[in-house]
Amino acid sequence: MKSALLLSLLFLASPARAWRLWGEPSDKKIRPVQTLSDAHKPAEVIAALTPDFLQTLRGTDLRQAYVLMGDSLDLLGRVDEALGVYQLGVKLFPKNVDLLTRQGDLLHSAGLDEQARVFYLKAIVYEPKHFGAHLGLAEIDRRFGFLDRSASHYETALETLDGRADVWRSYVETLLAQRSWATAGLAIERAIALDPNNPEGHILTAFARRAQGDLTGALAALDAALAHGADIGARRAKALWLVEAGRPGEALVEAALVLKESPGDAAALWARTRVELARGQTADAVLELSPLTAPTRIDFSARAARSLRNTLSSPPKK
Amino acid sequence: MKLLLALLLAAPAYAAPDLSAEALLRDHLWREVRQAPENRRPKVGLVLSAGSLRGVAHAGVIQVLEDAGFPIDSVVGTSMGAVMGALYASGMPLQRLREYAASIRVGSGNDLSSARLISLLLFDRLLSSEKTELLLRKGIGGIRFDQTLKPFACVAMDVYTGEAIIFRDGDVAKAVRASMNLPGIFRPLEYRHRFLVDGGVVDYIPVDASRLLGAEWTIASVTETDYTAARPQNVLESLMQVIDIRGSYLSHEQRKQADFIIEPPVGDIGMFEDHRVVEAIEKGIIAASTRLEAAKESLILASIPKLTDGWGAKAVK
Repeated sequence: MKSALLLSLLFLASPARAWRLWGEPSDKKIRPVQTLSDAHKPAEVIAALTPDFLQTLRGTDLRQAYVLMGDSLDLLGRVDEALGVYQLGVKLFPKNVDLLTRQGDLLHSAGLDEQARVFYLKAIVYEPKHFGAHLGLAEIDRRFGFLDRSASHYETALETLDGRADVWRSYVETLLAQRSWATAGLAIERAIALDPNNPEGHILTAFARRAQGDLTGALAALDAALAHGADIGARRAKALWLVEAGRPGEALVEAALVLKESPGDAAALWARTRVELARGQTADAVLELSPLTAPTRIDFSARAARSLRNTLSSPPKK
Repeated sequence: MKLLLALLLAAPAYAAPDLSAEALLRDHLWREVRQAPENRRPKVGLVLSAGSLRGVAHAGVIQVLEDAGFPIDSVVGTSMGAVMGALYASGMPLQRLREYAASIRVGSGNDLSSARLISLLLFDRLLSSEKTELLLRKGIGGIRFDQTLKPFACVAMDVYTGEAIIFRDGDVAKAVRASMNLPGIFRPLEYRHRFLVDGGVVDYIPVDASRLLGAEWTIASVTETDYTAARPQNVLESLMQVIDIRGSYLSHEQRKQADFIIEPPVGDIGMFEDHRVVEAIEKGIIAASTRLEAAKESLILASIPKLTDGWGAKAVK
């Protein structure tokens, strides 16, 4: 009798948490809508979640309705509306980590990282190991320059997402920025083992080796990435890195392949310019830069090309 | 199960390394700048502005620049910028520098107490800044300017002549104490036959001192106050407001002399709000991280004329 009374008191005192003991009240009216969402039919999900229907929902169903509505609007590119739905959901269910994290994700993808961070931090108060919130925080902290915190969030997320190669790769980027070469090497191995045919693991290997001064190893890793279907970006990197490695002939070959696919490519033109300069063909080098030096262009490549052209065209210092 | 799947899909997507032509070219040239011998790139001067407690944000800026491998050949600072600069130039590890900055409090560098404050307000008895010197000595000992790991200078003002005094030799702690010897609060420091007060009055962003140390390209961390938001309520605050406005007028010109500016948004942090020092450091980190790529680009562009010499280039007509 006494324990029953205590249990009743507990239920009355903290209704928001009580469902954790017996399961949240739900009549599972949301199931048909969930089926539509699982079938990737966002427009149908939105049509099904009418205001009248929402009024009949409670507990888990109502919370899930906000999640489904927000997700569907987001999928349809109606980001502002999705944000509004999540905001309303968070007001009604302020401790719901799914809604908090989704709102964080939406703000994060819109570049509003400081606001997103607030929601992620709230989410991990209620669920300290929530991997979605930790992933969001890891990315934001890396962008903001808090590399140690970023690595720590990745490590927490990876406790749950151990099998996701993309999360391992993302973790590697933070480790590389921290210059934690040994840990980065282990994490790259894990990413490649999980997703052996993905070229991105090899590209990260290439960046890691180059950062440690091993240009030969870096170029070999780029070759491995290209063998696994890496796109023109890897070849572009190869052209420039071959210049760094003092292998001008091969750099010209790679630059030509890039320019065939992407005429006017700034990295490839720069690689060719550098080779011509090394060969003493300064006039050809200046000519090579001309597609980049149009006065209307203000991007970095154009500014760098103009600076080099001006240097080459000015009389030598006495 | 479905919810777990949905969450897995909802997790932020992985962003692969940027392999665009623009990013790769910047990365390639940045490597050239970092690996170039000193005569093949401009000498880089780090300039740390005055800014009282706000100046701890410099610790965050320094950390980001160091993490990014930014070549820094010399360091100059005024007032709190001199404190942070002295610690960094003397080789204090970054983690320790951050902890040191986070531990700074209003009373850290002076003998401020209720009795002394009353004495200051009622009897015009100025405080001593000796604690600043002692505090610095705890961090860097009795190091001299010629013993710092990176060339360092700091700026104070002779209160009798109004001259900006740039310290480049002698005892670092004493010079830094002079550099942040706030006029109207601390007694002028008598040192080398001069009566010295805070250099922020005449040289808020000491780009000129950086040039004296040979810097050819300067990156300035500026922690100015937003004086338009301040509403002085007493003599001290009014005095500080006037100094801040004067400093701001001066820094308008000095900003133009710097090649690149990082400005942590700490203008709303008051000189007594020492509970916000960690926030200031974090703002320094965020501001520097946000501007890092632009700073790299600026230094690369300034370096190209010198780098070209190593590329086998000869001028053409």
